[in-house]
This record gives sequence, structure tokens and C-alpha cells, in this order.
Amino acid sequence: MQHYTDAQLADLIRRDAVHKKVYTDPDIFELELARIWNRAWIYVGHDSQVKQPGDYFATSIGKQPVVMTRHRDGKVHVLFNRCSHKGAQVVGDTCGNLPQLRCSYHGYVFDTDGALIHVPNAEGYDGVDFGKGKPGSDMRRVARVDSYHGLVFASLDAAGPDLKTWLGGAAASIDNLVERSPQGRIEIAGGCFRYLHDSNWKMFVENLNDAMHPMVVHQSSSGTAKRVFDERLQEGDPLPFELEMLAPFTNNYDFFEKMGLTAWDYGHSVTGGKFSIHSAYSPIPGYMEALVEKYGEQKAREILAVNRHNTVVYPSFTLKGAITSIRVVKPVAVDKTVIESWVFRQVGAPEELFRRSVTYCNLINSHANLVGPDDYEAYHRLQHGLQTQDGNEWVSQHRYLGQDELDADGARHAVGTSDMVFRHQFDAWKDYMVTAA
Amino acid sequence: MRKSSNNPADLNDIQQFLYHEARLLDEQRWEEWNDLYLEDAEYWVPAAADQPDPHNHVSLIYETGLLRAVRVKRYRHPNAFSLQPKPRSVHLVSNVILDSFDKNTSEYCVNSRFVMLQYRREQQDVFAGAYRHRLRVVKEGFKIAAKRVDLLNCDAPLENILIYL
Ligand code: FES
Ligand SMILES: [Fe+2]
Repeated sequence: MQHYTDAQLADLIRRDAVHKKVYTDPDIFELELARIWNRAWIYVGHDSQVKQPGDYFATSIGKQPVVMTRHRDGKVHVLFNRCSHKGAQVVGDTCGNLPQLRCSYHGYVFDTDGALIHVPNAEGYDGVDFGKGKPGSDMRRVARVDSYHGLVFASLDAAGPDLKTWLGGAAASIDNLVERSPQGRIEIAGGCFRYLHDSNWKMFVENLNDAMHPMVVHQSSSGTAKRVFDERLQEGDPLPFELEMLAPFTNNYDFFEKMGLTAWDYGHSVTGGKFSIHSAYSPIPGYMEALVEKYGEQKAREILAVNRHNTVVYPSFTLKGAITSIRVVKPVAVDKTVIESWVFRQVGAPEELFRRSVTYCNLINSHANLVGPDDYEAYHRLQHGLQTQDGNEWVSQHRYLGQDELDADGARHAVGTSDMVFRHQFDAWKDYMVTAA
Repeated sequence: MRKSSNNPADLNDIQQFLYHEARLLDEQRWEEWNDLYLEDAEYWVPAAADQPDPHNHVSLIYETGLLRAVRVKRYRHPNAFSLQPKPRSVHLVSNVILDSFDKNTSEYCVNSRFVMLQYRREQQDVFAGAYRHRLRVVKEGFKIAAKRVDLLNCDAPLENILIYL
């Protein structure tokens, strides 16, 4: 592995461009795992995935297997999925309920908080530093676990800001996501897509706030949908949600400019705010009424007036409030990334809202559909285009350079198609990568 | 074995129909393929094993006439970048079993197994699984009233599926 000094890493990031190695060098990728993914707050799961004591959900942080459990005292734990004996993964399936975690190799048994509670034929451990109740014999817990509105994050670094502080302005996107439930609660439902990409994880993360791409990349899906629906719909037919959803992808540049961009510390950002490609959906009967009942007229209107498009909680988590869905970034290799899309139910909202979320994810996030594969193709071509040795080592982020506005709360603002958010993500990248000893 | 499957003529006709459907896809005769379907027919690829319905869970594909028309038209769009270069496919259908015939709707339920090879840009992917067709008997032969595709690895991390399974 090539050793990068702090100075060399810092030199990869210019104000107006980044060195292509940040996307293509496997050694940089390994450093990212160590310095970003092992330190930042990383999304693990939602606590509704582990409702009952003994419920577990096995997932990963970076490339490390972890398991989220609900202990009998109600507490949610995130454990490294590694047996303290010889290192076997203790939990083998993705989710389920296990009153105790029993390793399948030598049968050592752990409690759902990780404590070693039973060793078969335990005499062998008399007088040595391993065994029930002895330090270092439990499954290890990750350094810090916290949740925000049920969304569980973990940090493998014992130091650093607490979750709420770290989320900064991005927390408001999560607040809005949850307030859209007439009971103030979301619940995991509707399953998940796992979309494998042959490109670097940052390409996906950047793309979510890239407002220069939809009208180009999605012209064949959104444009075709508009034409087909035009041909087939009769005067007075209700507009199918599928069209409401696909059509705005090919809105003009002016629309995306005005949508705006906001970014906060630690690399988080959002496109949209007052309006977005999700804001022109037809109202769902009974939904507003249910919100008014819970929040009152004024607040209910405010909740629905928030139209954040994609919120990026750098590096692992992105969400769409209006769609009640999240996408989770799983880095696999320098040119391999899995994107998981999860759908939630807004508890107490009309079923139609959930149906729309499912429909949206089917049409946009599935790897067998019309929209995602065209994004995939863009990332693929980036990953391969950057293999050239054409003398151009740099990836441009010049758009609207020098025109960002910093507000009193420390948030940065720019027009929707500014590269501000990429510059901002790489500022955070540099902070993580360079400050490591 | 059910009664209807004792009728070898039916089974043969049905097999030929399934092969014909597979051939239209492999020859990229999208419009003709779509014409095999009734307008409101569901084409459904669940995203989970044993998924009970397409409404309470995401699906890899869930389409009726309108969305099929969009996809079929997009296949010919000059700027559908994920179709450049063009993907190619081979669909193999086998283990065809007539599960039942419903006199009231004139529909056969047909169960079969498939393997689909997708090739694009130096990469070949293998997809396999089970088909469940509902085939309505009509004047010209059959129309597809519903097709469910249970992909063996429907919940695995997968790259693009660019051609109907
Ligand atoms: S490795 Fe788990 S009990 Fe031995
Ligand atoms: Fe896109």
C-alpha cells in the first residue's frame, strides 16, 4: 500500500478541482475506510427493525460486519459481528429473533448485549484470561451508538461530536421526514433494493445533489414517459402518480438552478427546500386532515411546505422526506459500491402515501428499472474515463466558484447547479483524511 | 397431476407460446412482445422471495400497460445511455407445468423455469428463476393476463437488469 503523507493527501484537493486518484486509487479507498468510515457517524438501521428483545439486524460499517440488537432492557446495541473466541461471525442471517447469540463454530453463547454467558466444557478456562465474566471475552460493541428519530447511527471512534451536533442542519431533514407522519413516527416497511455499482462510492453521493445531470441522463425515461402518457391519456383522466413522479426529472435548468443548494459542516448537504422535483404531487385525500389533527393547520402546512429533494448525511446516508425513503451507501472497493434503498411507512398516514413511496422506489431505485441504470451508466463512464493518462489529472468543480454564501448559522448556500456541494464534500473529506495522525 | 396437464395438445401449444415470448425478447421485437400482453396485465418481478403482493413491498419491476409502453418506447430512444452499447439476451424456458385451468376466466396457470443470459459491454450476467404465467385463451391463441418472475437471487446486490426477464 502506498503511504500518503498528510501533505500529499491535502494536495489532492484543490478549491476548483480534485485529483482523480480520490476515485481510482485503491490505497486511497483503504485510507477512506480507516479515516472516514471508521470515524464518522455511519447509518446502521432503524430501530423499528429490532422492535422486540432478541430482534437483530446484521449489516456493515464500511467493510466490517456488525449486528444491531435489541437487548431485553430495551436498549439497542451495535456489536461487531465477531466471536470473541476465534473470530467467526456469530450472526449468520440478515435479520430475525435470537434470545441469545450462539456461535456456530464452538458453541460459545453471547447475550444480546454482547456479554459472553456460556462456554461449553468451560473447565479449560480456569486460571486464564478468557471466559465468562472475564474482560475481553465479550463480543465487542462499537465505540458509540446513538439514534435520531429512531434512525440508528454508530461511530467506531470514541471521540468526536455527538450525533445531533454532527448532523447540524441535516437534522431538520430528518425532523421533517418524521413529522410527515400524523403520529410523528416512521416504521421500516416495504423491503429494500441492493443495487451494485461498479464505481466509487463518492460518485453516487455527489450525484444526489448534482442538478446538472437529470435533464441529460434521464431524458430517455422521463422524456419518454411524458410522451407516452400524452398519447394515451384522455382529456380529464386523472394524472397517474407514475407520471407526476417521472416528469420533473426533465424540468429545465432554470428549475434546478432555483431549487438551491445548502450545505452544513461535516459534508452534509441538501438540494431544494421550498420546492423540488417532489413538490408538485397531487394531494392525498385525508392526509392533510390527519396532519392538521395532530399538528394544527399552520404547522401542518409548514411540514408539507418543506420540499427538500435529496439530503446527504455524509458519507453513508441519504434521504428523501417527501418519498419517505432512504438510500444507504456501502463501500465495497474503490470501484464497487452497493446502494441500499429502504422504504418507510409514515405511521398514521393514508395507505396511499406508502403506495407512492413503493412506486417511486420501484421506478427510480430498482436496478431493473429505467432511471437508476442511466445513473449507473454515468458513474461507470466516470470510473472508466478517469483511467485515461491524458495529462489531465483533475476533476473539475469550477461551477459558481467564489459565489457561495455563508449564513449566520454557518450553512453555505448556492444556486442549485453550483459545484459548491462537491467542494464542500471534499472539504469534509480532507478534514477526515488529513487530520488523522 | 392435474387433469388439464393430461391434455398434450394444450401443453404443447403453451410451451410454443412461452418459447415465442422468449424469442421476441431475444430478437428485441419489443412492440410485438408487448402485444402478447393484455393492457392491464401485470408484469411483476418481486424483490423478495415469497413476496405476497406488489403493494406492500418494493419490486424490481411492477408494470401494467402504461409503464410497459414507456419501457418499450425507451428501448428505441437515441439517448438511453444504459442501452448503449445495446444489451443482448438469451432466454431459455423449461420445466413447463400446467398448474390449472379456470373455465370462468378461460385462463391457464402455467409454471416454468427460466435462465436468462444478459450480455453487454464485455459482461455477461446470468439470471434464473421461475415464471408464473396466467394465459388467457383468445381467438388468436393466448394473451398474457399476468406474469410473475421469481428471480432466484432477487434480494442479492445486483447490477442492472436491462431486458425483461
Ligand atoms: S469461534 Fe466462536 S465459539 Fe469458537
Ligand atoms: Fe439521476
